[in-house]
Amino acid sequence: MSSRRVLAITRRLLQQFRRDRRTLAVVFVAPVVILSLLGYVLRGGGSGPKVDLVVEDSGALATAVADHVAHDWDITVSRTDLATARSDLDTNAIAGYVRLPAGFSDNALRSRVVAPEVIVQGDEPGPATTVIAAMQRATAGALTALVSGPPPRLAPTVTYRYGGPSLDTLDYFGSAFIVFIVFFLVYVITSVSFLRERTQGTLERLMASPLRRSELVLGYMIGFSVLGLAQTAVVMGWSLLVLHIHNAGSPALVFLVVAVTALVAVNLGIMLSSFARTEFQAVQFIPLVIVPQVLLAGTILPISSEPGPLQVISNVLPLTYAGYAMRDVMIRGAGLDYGPLVLALGVIAAVAVVLIIAAGATVRRAPA
Amino acid sequence: MPRAQPLPPAIEVNGVTKTFKDLRALDGASLRIETGEIYGLLGPNGAGKSTLIRTLAGLLTADSGTVKVLGHTMPDLAALDQIGYMTQQPALYPDLSVEENVRFFAALYGREDDGVQAALELVDLASRRQSIVATLSGGMRTRCSLACAVVHKPRLLVLDEPTVGIDPQLRAEIWGKLGEMAADGVTVVVSSHVMDEAERCQRLCLMRAGRILAEGTVAELKKLAGVKRLEDAFLRLSAEPAA
Repeated sequence: MSSRRVLAITRRLLQQFRRDRRTLAVVFVAPVVILSLLGYVLRGGGSGPKVDLVVEDSGALATAVADHVAHDWDITVSRTDLATARSDLDTNAIAGYVRLPAGFSDNALRSRVVAPEVIVQGDEPGPATTVIAAMQRATAGALTALVSGPPPRLAPTVTYRYGGPSLDTLDYFGSAFIVFIVFFLVYVITSVSFLRERTQGTLERLMASPLRRSELVLGYMIGFSVLGLAQTAVVMGWSLLVLHIHNAGSPALVFLVVAVTALVAVNLGIMLSSFARTEFQAVQFIPLVIVPQVLLAGTILPISSEPGPLQVISNVLPLTYAGYAMRDVMIRGAGLDYGPLVLALGVIAAVAVVLIIAAGATVRRAPA
Repeated sequence: MPRAQPLPPAIEVNGVTKTFKDLRALDGASLRIETGEIYGLLGPNGAGKSTLIRTLAGLLTADSGTVKVLGHTMPDLAALDQIGYMTQQPALYPDLSVEENVRFFAALYGREDDGVQAALELVDLASRRQSIVATLSGGMRTRCSLACAVVHKPRLLVLDEPTVGIDPQLRAEIWGKLGEMAADGVTVVVSSHVMDEAERCQRLCLMRAGRILAEGTVAELKKLAGVKRLEDAFLRLSAEPAA
């Protein structure tokens, strides 16, 4: 082994990196951006799940519990009546509500069982657990102040609007991950193939033919959507039949959501490939474009727990709506008569249309 | 080549300029190419040959001046199905077979049915139609690229340095095919910096720094420069200040 030759290789690599400013930027800037984003998501002081508190009992215990709950750091509480709480739950404005029914304080003292009613959405694992834990803390806090002797038993009745305690973490995240996996792979494959069309000179050759840019983009879109749908079929089959991920809705609707999201991925890939000169550079868009979407689109962490400014960003990411739509169908069992699902599908479709136009515009007749 | 009845010129270029940032690639170039002619653009690297070729193929828009191709003012999408274009590097899909490549380009021009076999025979690749392009030699790739350029039976064939890196025997064969096509009325425009190729053109222009220095048959250019070899004519005319 010759150290001169080894050093020659090392030196050459470093020289190449020095010339490739963009790679350097990705190597140093991307991790800083991604970690900062993760830090902000987790520690940015996002408000906890929104919870309505319905107090129908005027006893001392109910008042004390309500007071403790209202000051719990992990949840954001508003006092309201039962009708408002129910309607808030229906419109997904809250993660759930806690009801302290009439006779709550008396029953607790008489039968030594504290029985608040907790009603949660149950479509995300985090909020339900957080609300129940906050109730436990509040009850314990209130009891130590009010009751002497052995403390009464806490036995909340927990009602899940969707899903329920039988759903595990995979059930909750699986739906968003199915659409993410397809989005990610379709994006990567499209951007690299379209870039290859540029680098191998065939794009110039195509532009010298009567082929219109719109025809090129449409052809690509259909080709990769077919691939994306075949991939979806495999992913769905494996998820539902082998992994038994919970699906309360229609598989055809899941297909529709994934298909529309695949259109977004194809056109994003075509558009961004025009900003890269090599396949190496195309791959560098992954930490810049894909990773932030994973962090912010609710794929791993619930959007409701993000700090406010990040929620604004989350609300413009197409993958956010894809995740919403997938949870609507697979966990809530929603159909096309469910407004939020139709809205989410509409947003993804609108983003797809914008990206189709943008992709068409970036395919220059004369590639530089 | 003089023809029995006068046809409109295949190409008319008038005072065309094209600038890329600081580089003036075409600087008032004008020329006229007759139908059925084999016309050569000769000049050193950076003379503006490829820019002119790409303007003729509808890939670039001139900053000023006019470019008329087959009666269409370029760039015009309507002219493109009459033009066959071959890039400097063979522009093919390496993971497809020869026939799949040719068939793909035929489909772009709506000629999937009739042109493929004839194009493969023209470039002598009919026996290799199933071969994957990535496994072909450089010369075969160039032939395949030529087949893709002619599969739709264009009236104008624009070739950017078509026989670079091809052995002399094959080069002679390809020029033979181009001659046959020209005899059938196809106009052929070829850019080159190889004298041997330039000698095969019926008329030539010499380009340098985006300008056309001289135009004529090989004999006319030699006479103009007062030399016996085209290469000497090229060197002498290039050395003079641009007109």
